[in-house]
Amino acid sequence: MPNKRQVALLALLSAGAALAQDVPLEGRVNINLGKDSPVALVSMSTGDSHSSSRGAALVLDLHMSLTLRNTSAGRIHGVALRVISQEVTVGGKGSVSIPSLNIGPGEAFPVRIDMQLMRPTQVAGGPLVDVNLDGVLFADLSCSGPDLLNSCRTMTAWEMEAQRDREHFKRILAQSGPKGLRQAMLESISRQSARPQLDVRVMRAPAVTSAAFGPARTEQFAFLQFPDSPLEPSKGSAQIAGNEAREPHIEVVNRSAQAIKYVELDWLVSDPSGQRYLAASLPASDPVLYLPAGKTANVEQTTCLRFTRRGQPVNIQGAMGFVSRVQFADGKLWVPSRADLERDSLVKVLPPSAEEQRLDDLYLKHGLDALVRDLKRY
Amino acid sequence: MKHPNQATLALHAGGDLGAIARWRARRHLERCAECREEITRFEQLRQFLPSLADSPELQWNRLAAEMKANIRLGLAAGECVRADEPAGAGRIWSGARVGVALASAAVLLATGVVLERPGPTVDRETGVVVQATADGVQVREGGQALGLMHSGTSREAVTYQVGAQGSMEARYVDSETGYVTVNTVDAQ
Repeated sequence: MPNKRQVALLALLSAGAALAQDVPLEGRVNINLGKDSPVALVSMSTGDSHSSSRGAALVLDLHMSLTLRNTSAGRIHGVALRVISQEVTVGGKGSVSIPSLNIGPGEAFPVRIDMQLMRPTQVAGGPLVDVNLDGVLFADLSCSGPDLLNSCRTMTAWEMEAQRDREHFKRILAQSGPKGLRQAMLESISRQSARPQLDVRVMRAPAVTSAAFGPARTEQFAFLQFPDSPLEPSKGSAQIAGNEAREPHIEVVNRSAQAIKYVELDWLVSDPSGQRYLAASLPASDPVLYLPAGKTANVEQTTCLRFTRRGQPVNIQGAMGFVSRVQFADGKLWVPSRADLERDSLVKVLPPSAEEQRLDDLYLKHGLDALVRDLKRY
Repeated sequence: MKHPNQATLALHAGGDLGAIARWRARRHLERCAECREEITRFEQLRQFLPSLADSPELQWNRLAAEMKANIRLGLAAGECVRADEPAGAGRIWSGARVGVALASAAVLLATGVVLERPGPTVDRETGVVVQATADGVQVREGGQALGLMHSGTSREAVTYQVGAQGSMEARYVDSETGYVTVNTVDAQ
């Protein structure tokens, strides 16, 4: 709850808002798709982008609509754009990705980027925002682009999950017909709406833990093992204090016959009532990981995560982990199967894949016939 | 249509309106998109407030200390003036003076209590923070922030996923393009 001083500050800021001015954004946005890019920029609009002064802060709302065309000979299944602001020198960056695409050669598709920048003072001249192509994924899982954000790996994993989930719903359609598919979609939609979610704030520099929480305790991870996983988590722990968790680390063993170069685990936490939530994904911190067959590695991060729900702190009681993504040295990826996720009711805790989210939306907006037609396209 | 003033909207955004005023504001907001948008902006500003509270322009504790110092200086000056007065002068008013002094002391005490109350509930977070806001995901450091918004999509329809390395992803079906869109901010 804000006190009177914060309310007074809000009033001051709102008075500033009354003096808001539009700042022309012509020439302030750079779009760079790179040489020999498989996509070309057809058009760009910055629509109702505007900036406003609020008290000491300057807020820039940028609404960009791009139309890109597939200039390659392959079908595009995913695009990732890197978004950087030179003006706002915050220690971070953004990206906008469109997975689950199916764009044929010569076809155009829209991309919308809505961005908000805040800084304490007026902006200087020069470009405000640079939008660069980071990766384009094709139907055959080949990928093109500078890949500075590892977009190729991420989009490939999304595509594998998409193939997995499309196959799941196609199998239901084949076995149980449209009625069975409708039932499966309704269950999926109901699962999404019932899924418990936490609000998580991640801090890179350690936050000061409230004295009310007492000293942090070491919480050992419990693990879910998937029979087909190339990696086995063996032990791990995180420091827990009240609704804060920090320094998670997990030891994993490569059970496959191939070397591994990327590992990611999903981290579940539970509250005092035993309700489980997805806390975060836990990727390996080593950017040049090389884990030969049979060897052990540590997956760890030094960030601090703070959990709340509906504005109230959620005390963390337990931690659980499972392997969610593995990339082998040859570039191939492993993701859990649908059967893996249905074990231990994980599907009730985890978010749907991008493809399942798309199919749910398609069913809700256009009905069963449109969904069946879409599944038959692949 | 008569709109609530800015202060009312600001108080509503912070959940600080009284029951009747809150009910009236809610009724208005149900049918006024313009004010709903204003409320959203206030909520976004509330996300931004912790970093402002840390900014050098807004040192509440220092301001409070300066105010108290000025009050003490005023009292000390008053004592100096009284010391110059002839002894016994105004004795007839001594009872009233004691009353005024007691009342002043009470006011001072109350002011001191107010000023010494804990400051705004501010997370003393340093470094880079990654979080979901009312309509997007944001990476923030000090007084600066970069956010990617899911405009036109309700928060309930967005799937958030956190990366423990310092990233946050908001995944939703864009109402205009119809495509699944994944906005990611990363503190690295």
